[in-house]
Amino acid sequence: MKVYVKLIATYREHLPPGTQGNTTSVEVRPGSSVEEVLTPFGIPLDASSVIAVNGRTVPLDTTVSEGDKVVAFSAVAGG
Amino acid sequence: MSGRIGRTGKSSKAAKSSKTAKRSKAAKARKSGKNGSPVTTAEARDTRSSEKYGWHGRLLRVDLTHEKTSIEEIDPQVSKAFIGGRGVAIRYLYDEVDPRVDPLSPANKLIFATGPLTATTAPTGNRYMVVTKSPLTGALAHSNAGGHFPTWMKRTGFDLFIFEGKAAQPVYLWVDEDAVEIRSAKHLWGKDVPTTTDALLAETDPNAKVACIGPAGENLVLMAAIMNDKDRAAGRSGVGAVMGSKNLKGVVVNGRENPAFAEDEAMRELSVTIAKEVGADMLAGSLLRKYGTAYVPQVTNEFGILPTHNWQAGTFEGVDSIDGPTLTAQYLIRPKPCYRCPIACGRLTEVPEGKYAGKGEGPEYETISAFGSACGVDDLAAVTRANYWCNELGMDTISAGMTIAAAMEMYEKGFLPKEHIGQPLRFGDADAMIEMVQKMAYREGFGDELAQGSYRLAEKYGHPEIAVTARKQEFPGYDPRGAQGMGLLYATSNKGASHMEGDVVYEELFGVPVKEELLTVEGKGELVARFQDAFALIDASGLCVFLALRYMFSKERMILPTRLSQLMKLTTGVDYSPSEILKAAERVYNLERLFLLAAGSTEDTLPPRMLEEPLPDGPARGQVSRLGEMLPEFYKIRGWNEHGVPTPEKLAELGLP
Repeated sequence: MKVYVKLIATYREHLPPGTQGNTTSVEVRPGSSVEEVLTPFGIPLDASSVIAVNGRTVPLDTTVSEGDKVVAFSAVAGG
Repeated sequence: MSGRIGRTGKSSKAAKSSKTAKRSKAAKARKSGKNGSPVTTAEARDTRSSEKYGWHGRLLRVDLTHEKTSIEEIDPQVSKAFIGGRGVAIRYLYDEVDPRVDPLSPANKLIFATGPLTATTAPTGNRYMVVTKSPLTGALAHSNAGGHFPTWMKRTGFDLFIFEGKAAQPVYLWVDEDAVEIRSAKHLWGKDVPTTTDALLAETDPNAKVACIGPAGENLVLMAAIMNDKDRAAGRSGVGAVMGSKNLKGVVVNGRENPAFAEDEAMRELSVTIAKEVGADMLAGSLLRKYGTAYVPQVTNEFGILPTHNWQAGTFEGVDSIDGPTLTAQYLIRPKPCYRCPIACGRLTEVPEGKYAGKGEGPEYETISAFGSACGVDDLAAVTRANYWCNELGMDTISAGMTIAAAMEMYEKGFLPKEHIGQPLRFGDADAMIEMVQKMAYREGFGDELAQGSYRLAEKYGHPEIAVTARKQEFPGYDPRGAQGMGLLYATSNKGASHMEGDVVYEELFGVPVKEELLTVEGKGELVARFQDAFALIDASGLCVFLALRYMFSKERMILPTRLSQLMKLTTGVDYSPSEILKAAERVYNLERLFLLAAGSTEDTLPPRMLEEPLPDGPARGQVSRLGEMLPEFYKIRGWNEHGVPTPEKLAELGLP
């Protein structure tokens, strides 16, 4: 099944070369976790990253569904 | 260094200050140093009173009505109990200004305040506060800025400047390390901020630093800012209008009176340790250095809290066009740090060509959300140009942008006739938006109504529900329907809606230091109260929140200001513990609250759109602010009664009247 991965700001550098914008899609097997989706991208999977699915912060073991959007960015004091 | 002030011959009608014997011996030591025998800081320090560490313990009072200045000692107990900056300033404001006074009358006072860590080796120890009664909110203003001016101000040897009364003609204040002078600014009235700044430096000292107002401040625009170093703003709550009401065009500062440290070696060591930590993080890839805060629209949009079309929606389809990577790729010249700042979130930018061509600083996130998504404008060049105009004319980008956004909604809904505006004013019309910015600063045509802010504008046209304000001040760029803690913050903030009084999205959104949930209300009273005190502490100390929140508090949860209290102790010699210094911050916050209540600003609430209109889109769809569920917990934690009034027990605990 297909899910979308959006990496914001500095994490954009972890998207595959040639990716247009900040979002790519990946094929994963049904039942995959957020951790399994994000691991290939090489971003830190700890408290130094904020990770959300469809606009809600979730734990790494959350199961993703077809068409979900997984978003990650570096936890930093902002705006 | 070229001619001393008073000898340049350029001044007119100078009311030469009472240069008194109170000026320190250190100044004399410095003078001899300039004549060829370098004076080390250690030698200079030896000439000081042993009690003057961190704080200079002295303020400059400027009576504009009589064009007289005087120097006063600050009671060390006041400095200790209220820390400095925002804290000592509210103590003076509370003692000296009737909270019911007309903010734009001579009876109001305008206070510039540095903190004990301003001009020290502490990383980002380079902030100052402007504290006064706000003409926008009718309550309290405390606006913060960095740049270079704050350090230079502290180096004059004064912790505070207090401006009172009103000059008969436009003037500026020139404070050198050993002389104070009020000079005519008639020739600068009407000039924009860059022109004024350059002119003031040319006629004083090119090594000095300037804070001034532009046309917006002169014209008493209720969201006028005080600009320093041209592009840094004490932006919010109309502090620039108060300065304009006093006919005070600018303040020029220079000096070399760095504060001494009680434990010099240890202070320098700790400063280096912190700077190294920050440096390592920056090398590891810093969002803020690379993108400034301009990366945030993408984040707030993702969670559905990016103010769009005057808060009618929480996601903006043009977000990719107005975010950080676009800014960096298209317009960034280089990051521009404040003095000695290792973070460098400031943006020196240029729009090289086209109708929005220009060069200056910005935009940062708040400006992008106000002039971008809130006005429905997806053209980053236009947003950047609007930012330049605000800087040049001296105006708060948040309130300016959000007020135009409110006018756009009123126009589109037919509440505001085209004839009154003089032109159509639709969402997404970047040219009209920029036109309005300029008209607002000069109060020209419809700009005169925009200059009053969105609350008064919407009320005048019979649709108060359009204005998204708290205490009549426009919201910053986080929709509190999708960030519950922010709603509680806006409603209870001492300065009206502001992120700079306890920005709980650090936890709710950015995961700093830990990730909180956005949509829950449980525990938000504790979170908001804790952040309000933390921000009061940082603002009182003279540090910047960006660095302080991450490196000055206990790592696990941002509860104890472990490092901040250490820096304060090493600098001032006062044996502050983390809990004692937090208590001082709570004292500051409660005294501000007393001023607010006495000014008649007693209602902690949010506008109807936040409480009754669910967000129609995005991940926070269907949500409203659940303020009523959070307030009781907040009041209880604060030690306030059910009406938000500090209890006698709480006041006694804090040693307040």
